[in-house]
Amino acid sequence: MASETDLNMNALRERLESLRGATSFEERCDGVWMEAPDLDVEAMMREMNAEGFRLATMTGRQAPEGETTIMYHFNRGPHLLHFKTRSHGGSHPSLALVSHPASWCERELHDFFAVKFDGHPNLVPLFRPACLNEGFFRDDITPENGPENGPEASQA
Amino acid sequence: MPYQIPIGPFHPALEEPYKLSFNCVADTVDKVSVDVGFSFRGIEILAQKREWLPAITLVERVCGICSNVHATSFCMAAERIAGIEIPKRAQYIRTIMGELERMHSHLLWAGLAAEFMGYETAFMEVFNLRETIMDMLESISGNRVNYGMNRIGGVNRDIPDPLQYVSTLETAAKTLEKVVIPAFMDNPTARSRMGGVGILTKEDAIAWGTVGPVARASGLAIDVRSDLPYLAYEELGFRIVTQESCDVQARVVVRALELLESIRLIIAALKGLPAGPLRAFEGLPTIPAGEATTYCEAPRGEVFYYVASDGSDKPARVRIRTPSFVNIPALEAMMPGQQFANTSLIQASVDPCLSCTDR
Repeated sequence: MASETDLNMNALRERLESLRGATSFEERCDGVWMEAPDLDVEAMMREMNAEGFRLATMTGRQAPEGETTIMYHFNRGPHLLHFKTRSHGGSHPSLALVSHPASWCERELHDFFAVKFDGHPNLVPLFRPACLNEGFFRDDITPENGPENGPEASQA
Repeated sequence: MPYQIPIGPFHPALEEPYKLSFNCVADTVDKVSVDVGFSFRGIEILAQKREWLPAITLVERVCGICSNVHATSFCMAAERIAGIEIPKRAQYIRTIMGELERMHSHLLWAGLAAEFMGYETAFMEVFNLRETIMDMLESISGNRVNYGMNRIGGVNRDIPDPLQYVSTLETAAKTLEKVVIPAFMDNPTARSRMGGVGILTKEDAIAWGTVGPVARASGLAIDVRSDLPYLAYEELGFRIVTQESCDVQARVVVRALELLESIRLIIAALKGLPAGPLRAFEGLPTIPAGEATTYCEAPRGEVFYYVASDGSDKPARVRIRTPSFVNIPALEAMMPGQQFANTSLIQASVDPCLSCTDR
């Protein structure tokens, strides 16, 4: 892992702003937030790994039209970075093959928000009880309008 | 011939449910996979259906051991959204509660680890010491668990006579130094049970994103108290503890030395408890629209909260990432090549909390 003194936040910021899909970069009291609705998440992960950042977790929030806002929270010592992107057509690229911590986070987001992580090697329920549909945190998926999201679908 | 052993979700030793599926050759583990989710409670979504105040009570129930840190983290996130700065005295009291909670958690863990090793004498010594800490928590908060100390903007209860606890803590430090720590670090039987067992290399600790004592026992100098000092940790001068041997013994040593550091911090905070109010305001909080994250160091490692507000009387989103959520999967890296008989001790060395993980 790179040492604290090695980190040049300005240079990192320039590289992150050049990532595909980056639209805004904001410094807040809880770290730097980057909005990127069409973020190239694999490129993001490469940059974070190269700089010794650790993926702390991912957060999902319901977005309009069946989509989900997906946040990646990274840290390295006192440096905090948050990337905010979103699913497209209910899907999002998986990072599970390149990041162990991403695997459970993605399975959890699949359970809670019905995000389909393309390329996840084992996108089976992590927490979701068999009696609940995928996306049970959402108020736009109900047993009536989402039978294809039921437990049987995930086992198929 | 290779064979499989499924263990769990219900265990004879661990009260909480999770499942480990071992692939073994002779008495050696070849591979293991972990399944969780048997006690899912949906606390995140339930918190979004409660007003800010009862949401604190709810998140304090994420864990029966590290309940205080969840309430602290949630309140800190709400305070960050609202731009509330809590009084110094409240910061110190939150710090004291956090460190007492760490002591009670580490001592509980040490006692259980001793029992898993068949080391009943150490178990009795540790649990005897733990009772004095539980008594202190009860004396301050009125409760042995789920202390109800945190509120948005400060704390609910004062510590009116802080110096009354100092001598008990000094005695606890002596017991740790003379009895408990030698029981684990000097006893040849304990050393042979733990040394070289359950190795998690520094590279694997990074790759699996481990946190807390598990990461620090693999040589990673990460601790929210030093990396992102919050509450009174910067003023009290927190000292991080790390070990390099990456095994079960290193995880024991890290927690043992952290107990001494916790006592030092608590005594310093009690002696230097600033005068002043306990809370920034009276009455119910108003949390404007916004979002914030917080990191706190729970006994098992870094806790992360993301809280969003839409300006209403309920949180719009509460996201909780507990340390066990990232430490438990790392068992898959610690187990291969280990004797099957050691797997219970390796599991214990992670201090897995399924209540936290499943939420």
